[in-house]
Formats: sequence, C-alpha cells, structure tokens
Amino acid sequence: MSEARGEIFDLGYHHYDGPRQGRTRARKALWQDGVRTALGIGRGWPSKVLPALLFVAVVFPAVFMSLAAATAEIGDELPTHADYYRIVAVVLFLFSATIAPELLCPDRRDRVIDLYLVRPLTATDYVAARWAAFLSVTLALVWIGQIVLFGGLTLADEEPIEYLRDNWLDVPRFLSAGLVIAIFATTLPLAVSTFTTRRAYAAAIVIALYLVSLPVAGVLSLCGDEESQGTQAAGAPEEKCEPVTGDAAKWFALLSLPEVPMHVSDVIFDEDSGSEFAARVREHPSAVPIGWYVVLTAGPGFVLWWRYRRFRT
Amino acid sequence: MFSARASLEYTWHVTAAPLLEAKGLTKRYGNTIALDAVDFQVHAGVTGLLGANGAGKSTAIKLFLGLLTPTEGSAEVMGQKAYESVEVRARLGYMPEHDCLPSAINASEFLAHMAQVSGLPPTQARVRAADALRHVGLHEERYRPLNEFSTGMKQRVKLAQALVHDPVLVLLDEATAGLDPGGREEMLELIRRTSHEAGISVLLSSHLMGDIDRTCDRIIVLDGGHVTEEGAVARFTQETSSIVIEVDAGCEELAAALATRGIEGKVDGSSVVVELTDEALYDEIRDAIVEADVRLRRLAPRRGGLADIFRSSPE
Repeated sequence: MSEARGEIFDLGYHHYDGPRQGRTRARKALWQDGVRTALGIGRGWPSKVLPALLFVAVVFPAVFMSLAAATAEIGDELPTHADYYRIVAVVLFLFSATIAPELLCPDRRDRVIDLYLVRPLTATDYVAARWAAFLSVTLALVWIGQIVLFGGLTLADEEPIEYLRDNWLDVPRFLSAGLVIAIFATTLPLAVSTFTTRRAYAAAIVIALYLVSLPVAGVLSLCGDEESQGTQAAGAPEEKCEPVTGDAAKWFALLSLPEVPMHVSDVIFDEDSGSEFAARVREHPSAVPIGWYVVLTAGPGFVLWWRYRRFRT
Repeated sequence: MFSARASLEYTWHVTAAPLLEAKGLTKRYGNTIALDAVDFQVHAGVTGLLGANGAGKSTAIKLFLGLLTPTEGSAEVMGQKAYESVEVRARLGYMPEHDCLPSAINASEFLAHMAQVSGLPPTQARVRAADALRHVGLHEERYRPLNEFSTGMKQRVKLAQALVHDPVLVLLDEATAGLDPGGREEMLELIRRTSHEAGISVLLSSHLMGDIDRTCDRIIVLDGGHVTEEGAVARFTQETSSIVIEVDAGCEELAAALATRGIEGKVDGSSVVVELTDEALYDEIRDAIVEADVRLRRLAPRRGGLADIFRSSPE
C-alpha cells in the first residue's frame, strides 16, 4: 500500500506572455461594463429593478397593441409604429434619466476614473464608450418593442405576406426614428451627469428639465382651455385660438424637451401625431424641428466630451 | 496586438536605458510652480521619490502617466511621452494615494475588468486577476465585495490592480498612507517582493524616509519643485567621519570634559557626536568618559541617514 504524500508548490509571480489588444480592447471592456451597469448585471437585485421595469414598460405596449390589432374589426384604425413611440418615449426618457447617471457618477465619486485614464485609452475613449454603452441599451429596448409590434401586426393581418409587402418601409422608419429617440434619451442625461458625482442629483435635474419644460412650453405656445373651448357658441364657425405669445408660439412649442425627438419621429413617419405641440411645430418647415433636435443632442454631446477633457490638463 | 514581453521592454533592460526620464520638466498651476525644470532618470529596480508634502512628487508621477501635460520640458516613459502615446501606458501600473476602488463589485471582478481595460483578452484577464490577488495575499478574499475590505486590504487591491496587466514599471504614490505599523511593514515587504521576485521596477513616492530606506535601491529627493539629491540609497547611509558616543546619562558633562581637551562635541539626544580628525582622538575620548564618570553604551562611527538629506538641504 503506497503512502499518501503531498507537496506544496510556491507558485510565485507569473509574468504574462499572452496577447495585448491595446486601446481596442480597453474601449470594448468599458462598453461592456457600461452595458452591464445599465442593465444591473453582476450587481445586486436593487440595480436590476429599474432596467426590468423599463423593459416591461417598453415591451408591454407593443404586445398590447399587437393583440389589439389581432382583435380589431375590419375598418378599425390599427395602431402604428409612430403611435408606439409616442406611448413609450416619455417612459423611456424618465427611466433613462434615472439609469444613465449610474454609468458616469460612481466612476468619478469613487475616483476609479483615475485608474482608467492611466491605461491605454483617452478621456474621449472613456466617455464615448460609456455613451455607446447606454445608447446600445436604449436602442435595443425601443427596437425590441418595435420588432414585437411589427411581428404582431404582420401576424394579425389576414394576409401576412401582403402586409409585409405593403409595409416594409415601416422597418427603416422605425429603426431610424428609434435611433433619434435613443440618442436623445442617452445624451442629455449623460451630459447632466458630468456636473455631479451624485446619481440622485443628476436624475432629479434631468427629470426636472423634462417636467418643467412641458408646462412652460404649453403656457407659452398653446391656447388656454377657456379660450379654445368655453367661449365658442354651438354651431358657430371654428375660430382659430390665439396663444399668449402670438406668432412666436410656434417657436415656444419647441421648448418642450420630451417632444423634441417626437417631432423628428413625426417627420420620419410622415404622420401627424395629433398633439397640440406638434400642430404648432408643423407651422415650421421640417428643417426647423430637425435642426433643433441636432442642437439639443450635439450640444449636450459636446458638454459631455468637454467636461471629460479637463481630466487631462 | 503585440506580444507581452515585447521587444520594447527587453530593449530597455538590455541597454539599461532609463525607464523614466524627466528633461527640463516644468509644471505650473497658475502662479504656483509645482516642478521647476527638473532633470532626472529612473532605471530598473526600486527608486524612491522622497519629499515633503507639496514637493512635487504626485505632480511628477501624474506627468509620467500622462494625466497631466508639462508646461515645459518632457516626461518620457521608455522613450515615449505618455501624454502623447496612450499605448505606452499599457506597460505602466499606477497605485494612487487616494481611494479609487468601486464599492459595488468584488475584487476578482474588478481586477479582471481593469486587466481588460489594460488590453488583455477576457479569459486571460480573469487568470491574471487571480494571479495578482494571490500575489498580494488576497486570493481567499477574491469574491468579497470591495466595500467590506479593511484599509490594508484595499491598499493591497490597489497594488494588485496596478500589477494585474504585468507592467514593466509601477508608480506607487504614498503606498503606505493610512496603514498601521503592521500593515505598513506588510506593504513594504510586498513592494520588495514585487521588485525582487517579480522583476517589476518600482517608483515609490513617499514623504516617509523609513519607507524609502527599507525598500529602495536609489533615491530622488524633491524639495519645492527641485531635485536636491539623487543617487544610490547606500551612498546616503554609509559611514561618516563622525563618532557617536552614546551614554546612559551625563551628555553635558561628557561634552564639557571633551571641551577641556580641545574637542568639540555636539550633544544629540543621549549621544555626543565628535568629528574624527585623528586616530589619537579615541584615547582622549576614553579619558573624557572616565573624567565625566558616565556609563558608555556605544562608541561607533556614525552612519548617514536619509534624514540628513533634509538637514543639509538649503532652505
């Protein structure tokens, strides 16, 4: 019978002789970490609650609208892809305002940023990777909802192949409109997050911007209730109401932040959303809401980049 | 993609070219001059960057890492400027003085992520994370959240993240800050092992002379943004021409007895220091000790200490 024996090995320090993928790997690692952070993967269950709720909030309307289309009678008006964005956009903006600071604020509060910036990447790489990570999450969410809806509408039709042939143009439209909405939902909250290390403050500021801009734009660009409804006699010809700001109302209508990407979405889908803000904005040529959208995404994008430039001075 | 122990670092070891080189390096913050046209080199081994708070140590480290750009001059890492070439940073490790660890994740996950951010593929990054945590003695704790770690353990994680991508050189900024005497000793031992066993060069910034004395081969002394001393630590700790006469009590009496013999003795705590000009002086000292009736504890040539660097530095 052999005697049991054991040996202790001193592993010592091992040098690394494998591949080094430099800046490309560094960017990818930050992007992956950003996606995981946004979705709460690898974190405790409280971090997963908001992304899970957002997923439900975005996908549920698509499923509901598909079911509604399946049970619709001939002649009923079917829900459209533009309708879907109008329903989920505000929810998406509020949720993104809450989740986006998670990608930037803790790195600065815990000063992990100092460890990132001594590695093979620049401050621009860092901020671009974080932005791309959150854009990927928001884009995936809005596109998943639209794909579910498109699938539902196709299957609900009596002639699915006919439906596909007649409505294939909806696919590039909802993809591009989704990109427009996702970029807006990503850039503004991330830009605000560069001004504070406290996630709650950043989220509160962004939500306040959305919530305050809506009534401000409403007061300045829309008709009051009594003006538009109460003073008109029954059977009288419809009078055009006059907002307090007169002809400038169509410009003040642009101030409502949650509506800004929706105006561009309306242009893409070539649809009238029916909202009073949209009615005012339609008095402009299409280039105006599109240009305003570019300003409100490029501006925060520049702020985002510029705020991180200061880490190398 | 390039191989790990690439030709770059071997070239540096073989040619003994400096790992870091400051040439006329100047950094100003408004009217404040943090570094004033300093020139120095850091070679393989353990080099101490010694100086009081505000001497310019952290500024120098940040310039080499590319976190700051020089106002004038250059800070080169293996012949390249880190603020111009990001790739050279893949071969540097950095342990900052301040807290820099996230709280929400465990040590293993954090290190694997930092290895990937240093350019390592995911599978190798996880292996390196385990290796680095084993090296700093935290292998058993690798799945614990970082917010549950003690100060000493956090310092070790900070060192581990600086080593996780197997750098050529690590820059440690006040590595023993906030540690109790036991933790400080362990950290210094870890730094020695990192250099002597792993062969990774170290630049250790500290205001504690004991840390530098016990760890470093070479020293660069910064004072008010200037390099005041530079060289091997042994040079500063070799024997001097003075003799230390350590007695139990009665230093003043001994100094007086020496004075009657025409010998100037400076009282320094429980010792009297005499400048040795002649071997015959030993007989005079013996007689003075007898005359002063003091109990002799030690009579030996005085060795220099790093503290002398600051005593001799011009104001």
